[in-house]
Amino acid sequence: MKRIFTSIYIGLLASQIVYADSVQVKLAPGYRPLAFKIPAAGSYDLPVIDMAADGEVLTSNNQVRHLYELMGDKITLLSFIYSTCSDVNGCPLATQVFHKINRRLQKEPELAGKLRLLTLSFNPEHDTPEAMSRYAVSFTNDKVDWQFLTTQSEQKLKPILDEYQQAIQKNYDQQGNFTGTFSHILRVYLIDKDKQIRNIYSVAFLHADTLINDVKTLLSISSTQKPSIASVNNARFQKGDNKQHYAEKSYKTQSIALTERQGQQTDLLNNINTAPLGLPVVPIPEDNLVSTAKIALGRKLFFDRRLSLNNTFSCAMCHIPEQGFSSNEMATAVGIEGRSVRRNSPTIYNVAYATKLFHDARENTLEQQVWGPLLAQNEMGNPSVGYVIDKIKTLSDYQGLFAQSFNSDVNMLTLGQALASYQRSLVSANSPFDRWYFGKQTDAVSDSVKRGFAIFNGKGACSSCHIIESKHAIFTDNQTHNTGIGYRESMQILPEKRNIQVAPGVFIEVDQQAISAVSAIKVNDLGGYEITQDPQDRWKYKTPTLRNIALTAPYMHNGSLTTMTDVIQFYNQGGVDNATLDPLIKPLDLHATEKDDLLAFLLALTGSNVQELVADAYNAPIGN
Amino acid sequence: MNNYLKKSTLSWARLVQAFALTVTTLVISAPVQADETCQSPYMAKIVGQEDFVYVWTLGMQGVGDEQDKLVTVDVNPKSAKYGKVINSLSVGGRNEAHHSGFTDDRKYLWAGGLDTNKIFIFDVHTDPAKPKLYKVITDFVAKSGGVVGPHTTYALPGRMLITGLSNNKDHGGRTALVEYSNSGEHIVTHWNPTDSDLRGAVKTGKYADGYGYDVRVLPRRNAMISSSFTGWNNYMMDFGKMLADPEAMKHFGNTVVQWDLHARQPKKIFDVPGAPLEIRCAWDPNHNYCFTTTALTSKIWLIYEDKQGEWQAKDVADIGDPSKIPLPVDISIQSDDNMLWVNTFMDGKTRGFDISDPFNPKQVFEQKIGSQVNMVSSSWDGKRLYYTSSLLANWDKKDKDNEQYLKLFSWDGKKLTEQFSIDFVKEKLGRAHQMRFGAYSLYAAFQPNKP
Repeated sequence: MKRIFTSIYIGLLASQIVYADSVQVKLAPGYRPLAFKIPAAGSYDLPVIDMAADGEVLTSNNQVRHLYELMGDKITLLSFIYSTCSDVNGCPLATQVFHKINRRLQKEPELAGKLRLLTLSFNPEHDTPEAMSRYAVSFTNDKVDWQFLTTQSEQKLKPILDEYQQAIQKNYDQQGNFTGTFSHILRVYLIDKDKQIRNIYSVAFLHADTLINDVKTLLSISSTQKPSIASVNNARFQKGDNKQHYAEKSYKTQSIALTERQGQQTDLLNNINTAPLGLPVVPIPEDNLVSTAKIALGRKLFFDRRLSLNNTFSCAMCHIPEQGFSSNEMATAVGIEGRSVRRNSPTIYNVAYATKLFHDARENTLEQQVWGPLLAQNEMGNPSVGYVIDKIKTLSDYQGLFAQSFNSDVNMLTLGQALASYQRSLVSANSPFDRWYFGKQTDAVSDSVKRGFAIFNGKGACSSCHIIESKHAIFTDNQTHNTGIGYRESMQILPEKRNIQVAPGVFIEVDQQAISAVSAIKVNDLGGYEITQDPQDRWKYKTPTLRNIALTAPYMHNGSLTTMTDVIQFYNQGGVDNATLDPLIKPLDLHATEKDDLLAFLLALTGSNVQELVADAYNAPIGN
Repeated sequence: MNNYLKKSTLSWARLVQAFALTVTTLVISAPVQADETCQSPYMAKIVGQEDFVYVWTLGMQGVGDEQDKLVTVDVNPKSAKYGKVINSLSVGGRNEAHHSGFTDDRKYLWAGGLDTNKIFIFDVHTDPAKPKLYKVITDFVAKSGGVVGPHTTYALPGRMLITGLSNNKDHGGRTALVEYSNSGEHIVTHWNPTDSDLRGAVKTGKYADGYGYDVRVLPRRNAMISSSFTGWNNYMMDFGKMLADPEAMKHFGNTVVQWDLHARQPKKIFDVPGAPLEIRCAWDPNHNYCFTTTALTSKIWLIYEDKQGEWQAKDVADIGDPSKIPLPVDISIQSDDNMLWVNTFMDGKTRGFDISDPFNPKQVFEQKIGSQVNMVSSSWDGKRLYYTSSLLANWDKKDKDNEQYLKLFSWDGKKLTEQFSIDFVKEKLGRAHQMRFGAYSLYAAFQPNKP
């Protein structure tokens, strides 16, 4: 029996509806040699699908047994059939495959002792124990444990079929009489010694080689979890889906498995209490003194997606730890249901020092600020303060946590205080620059960085807004300025064509008209004017800190500049001219080496504890 | 055929008699007997006239009850309600309803929400004309270990294979395939191969992005093929905003992965740049290949097993003018493997490609279906093609170009003729997305000529 390519025609009723009056049925793979190389036994996992069900059955000796009595001591293969079934790819296939296994087991007695085959009829009316005994006669032998079972009645059978989701239907003729045949989905179950279903086979899968291989896999000790391959380096603390050089054809992925996104908890309270080199003492409001419990609670809230209307958005979905606690993957944020947000997600690093919050500086404490995104219709979308408070009260994993931190239940105040406490702890400095400039460690940075610092402070005048003081630097004046970037966004006339990247190194010029057809109307952004209503404040945005700037691309309040080089170029050309352009913004006339040095300086502002803070964030539970 | 609509009042036996003259039921899912040509080969099949089309429909703000719903349309030409909506089952919320798939016994329809990660399980067997919401899986993200965006729900024996599109860590594109038992319990999560953990796969080119989208299997070759789209950030973003955002445009999938189906282990990662989406495999037992199309680069790719038994990927044709980004979306393969239907969203066209030589597809037909078009579903005999309009809530066209419809066309081998059209906005339903077929024949068994 080399290969059977015989096709069997099953005559099907020619119906009045249009389709072929016969359908050719090829013999199932189980009748032929396996057509592919099967993976080695033990080289793969067979995860638990479900518990196998118990049920009362009759043996072919007419003895009452429970299925569970026939499982547990051995691995079991369970097949549902009815003895008069004649569909070649139905019950006969299941029996044929068991028969092949039976023959193989006779040659492998050790394996034979570990396996039991069960063939259970779903036609108790016809398949009495005697009938099953007759059916079994040509298959059974003393070497292989193959039992032929039936049930006492359809009532005894039904719960078994239900549990195994073995759908059957009696077939009736045109007069409504039972034809003695059934419609059913062919299924065979592989059950381990813990009575758990480990595989289910249907026609396309059922093959003696596969089944034996799976049995051997269950018996193999090495079939359990393989050790996870942890990165030897610390790449996992960087963004996991790096798209550097994506514009080039030679781009190569450097993706990191999400399963490696694991890290150790760190002492965040200590991070607040001992500000790193280069930063002043962390300002703590008198009415919200920090504690380990508050920070832990705030951290839990920060990563909890249930804090949004539809349970999809936590703070961390826009302030992603390994993306500089900002978002590297888009220019301006999106909120729940994909709603457009006008501005780029700012970093949370060193937000403890911000005296004004949001790009337009409209808020003045972190405790209050947190309610902005929570309630914004296009961010986390919660309908009210009360809604958020009540929801947290219903979440069992928050029980007692607020009381522990505040001696008070969750409310508008304590929720803000908890979240603020965590955010305040994300203090990061002791960068190479800090070690050189404040720590007087001469070799902490290259000469290029030192020259870049001179430009930053001198020719570039960057430090006019990104302030550096004698003992520390927060790199911001906490003020708003008009650099022209917002003006350009509001006033520009869209070009007729836009260059769009469609794959690594592949760009296409697309008509703006086509883009407009799928664009919602863009909401304008007037910056500080929206808060003060003073025309002088049009397109003014808050000076961001430059600490960890290498981690927080894309840049500017609208994410419109992709790289730091673009930012340097933007300022070098004097921003974008407009009526209320900040007088500090003017052409800098930096030559190429100066720009490179300035870039080197900015790259030297990454804090030494970034990895530690990201690892701690990985350790935080995610509420889903 | 009014009997169909009175099912609940008929006894089981009488019902069976009622269908005896008109319906043939396939009992065992033999590979050549299939229904609409993108179903899992493990599934019970319809070969004749489908009675219903279930349209998984996105709630649309300002339209009707604004929430997602499973819309049942009577499509049996012999029915008095032919071409009419006969049931609409709202499920609550706008979940970014997207794709759906039957369990292998075809008793339940699993429909995913790409935003809220809920999976709605509908009972479609108790009364195929009136599906019931049987169960909602609400903890898919937690159970799967952080997978977001349940997309394809594909039947394997006794279980469902669900592709993810994103994750709960960064809402980017790295994701996994997730298996659930038919009872709705999580079994295992298979992460797509990434550079840091290729999971035994060979990176044949430059990319191993770990992204996901669709999955299909060829059990006879022990092959499973998966494709790659983009993460939550992009598929939920306003389409125009995304196109104008160079960072966002870097975050599309560029890979197709060939897996060992039995072991669920990735074997080979192919570079297929520009977001390969739907996968459709050939039906003929000797045709060891599948097609996919790249949304952004507008190409047909052939994923095939060569003479040495090695799987390969090759771009075999352009779709329309790629420089205009026509955005190929859904595809449908004819059951004789001779024709591939390809819809392009931006120009609202359906294109027929002669794929009798799979290495040289030739476009042989083109017709505009609407101002926008996404899904196409073919009957097994290839004579009926159903089309719907919605791609993603925030990607659909705006204003007057935002037509939302289900349209049926007949195909005679030369031309498409519209049979009916339902305006989903006018009917206060929403954005019509994916279609699945239902038939009484699946649940009322009759096999007259059995010995």
